[in-house]
Amino acid sequence: MKKDTIVIGLGNLIMTDEGIGCTIVGHFSAHSDDWPGIEFIDGGTGGMNLLHMLAGRKKVVIIDCAKMSEEPGTMKRFAPDQVKSIKQLSHYSLHEVDILKVIQMAEQLGSSPEEVIIYGIEPEKIEFGRGLTETLSARLSGYIKQVTKDIC
Amino acid sequence: MSKDLNINVKHVTRVEGHGNIVVDAKNGKIEKCEWQVPEAPRFFEAMVRGLDYTDIQTVVSRICGICSITHSLAATKAIEDALDIEVSEQADKLRILMHYSEQLQSHTLHVGYLAVPDFFGAPSVVPLVPKATEEVLAIVRAHRVANEWSDLIAGRTTHPVTLIPGGLTKIPTEQQLRDQQAVLKDTLKDLAAIAEATLSVAANIPDFERDTEYVSITHPDVYTFYHGDITSQDAKENVHIRDWESVANEYVHPQSTAKWCKWNRSEYACGALARFNNNADQLTDNSKALAKTFGLEKGCCNPYMNTIAQLIECVHIVETSIQLIDELLTTGLKAETVKTTGKAGKGSGCVEAPRGILFHTYEFDKNGKCVGANCCIPTNQNHANIQADFEKLVPEIIDEGEDAVRQKMEMLVRSYDPCISCSTHMLNVDFV
Repeated sequence: MKKDTIVIGLGNLIMTDEGIGCTIVGHFSAHSDDWPGIEFIDGGTGGMNLLHMLAGRKKVVIIDCAKMSEEPGTMKRFAPDQVKSIKQLSHYSLHEVDILKVIQMAEQLGSSPEEVIIYGIEPEKIEFGRGLTETLSARLSGYIKQVTKDIC
Repeated sequence: MSKDLNINVKHVTRVEGHGNIVVDAKNGKIEKCEWQVPEAPRFFEAMVRGLDYTDIQTVVSRICGICSITHSLAATKAIEDALDIEVSEQADKLRILMHYSEQLQSHTLHVGYLAVPDFFGAPSVVPLVPKATEEVLAIVRAHRVANEWSDLIAGRTTHPVTLIPGGLTKIPTEQQLRDQQAVLKDTLKDLAAIAEATLSVAANIPDFERDTEYVSITHPDVYTFYHGDITSQDAKENVHIRDWESVANEYVHPQSTAKWCKWNRSEYACGALARFNNNADQLTDNSKALAKTFGLEKGCCNPYMNTIAQLIECVHIVETSIQLIDELLTTGLKAETVKTTGKAGKGSGCVEAPRGILFHTYEFDKNGKCVGANCCIPTNQNHANIQADFEKLVPEIIDEGEDAVRQKMEMLVRSYDPCISCSTHMLNVDFV
């Protein structure tokens, strides 16, 4: 039986700040006993797989690295309809996926959750490397506190 | 129709490399026709240096979100080769099932969400939802089955966690395998529906052929994705995977920051069509029958048919998995403990990614710490072939006009199911 609420961290742990979503959700997973009604998933860069994670949920919280023209380290909370994607997609490859498009597809298929909340975190650096930059790692506990408010 | 073309399809962002298509023709004379790949160089090979052999898989599983099981398996096989680690027959079969689940995930995504919409004249699967709801739902169901199947055996849908040198940390129960088998039997019905929908628009598959070398692994007993030697129709003899560098012959090309490859000719192709061309006789009877329905025969050199070869492989994978689960249940599953130790050695692993042959090599010091790594991904092996296709295709269709030429070139790239821009998926948004 699927849990009503799911928290999904997206990104890549070997691309520095791109891994922020996975890092935050990793913290919650390590303490998942405190949240019996909530599922935590490190969605990595699985792209379209997100479609199946959304299906059958009431509430979805997505945490992802996001270029929002903000100061590095800034976290913003928004709903999918509060933003428009300016991501360039070539449509050549399965390997590029815009999460906002996956949400749109879920809506069309009638499997969209009642509530989708996205937490975007502005990266300082995205390049090959393990671990976050100091800018983001110094604010990690603040990000966790923010997300906690949504799942209490 | 004008014989001037000025096509400049550029998709470059800071860290996400994409392929660019550039064509310049004046009065029917082609001055430039290029497949450019400004993919950012990947430094993961440097990233695994110094890591213990037991930690490598966690890094390589993040190279790609679509082929994460394949990368993990190639790396694990290479580590086992380097350190002389044996794997039980049970673990081997479970790994093959794990690998099949990713092939099905990736193929259904590519066929259903990316390539077949081209044959319908749609820019992506999203506009097809209201027009062909049942068919799209069949694709979504097949994809979901594949995801849950990966979850069962790999411990996660993407970026597997159960795989370790020597075996698996966790195995499914016999009941879970029985349930999975029942689900797979139902999936064959969805695959039949997807095949029927694809067949209804198969006339829109471009009629283009170019003879090339087709490279894949091959095995005497099975249509293989996992064990075997490297082959092509040009190869005088099959090549052991430890000698993969003599097949890939990687070289730097000015059109690309990704390396290109060549073997017996100036370019080669890998992927589902290559596997089909080398090993089609070993497909299941139903897969062979489906190939016949689409007119796909061994020796096909229409690269657009790679998508059809993937569809045929989906049927083969599901049927073979049903049989493999039978074998596992007949023998009975046993809990296995894996104990390995590090030592000096060098080894290679090769498996078929959904989009073609993948090579990994690692070298370890006496403590089992990595001192060297090399990896060659299938998409890089296809770049030279895509360029050669472009050079034959564009003169043949130049009279069709700029939009049609651009469309057929983009479709051609998509048919190779390339792995580009897969290491980052971040959002890029403006607030409204």
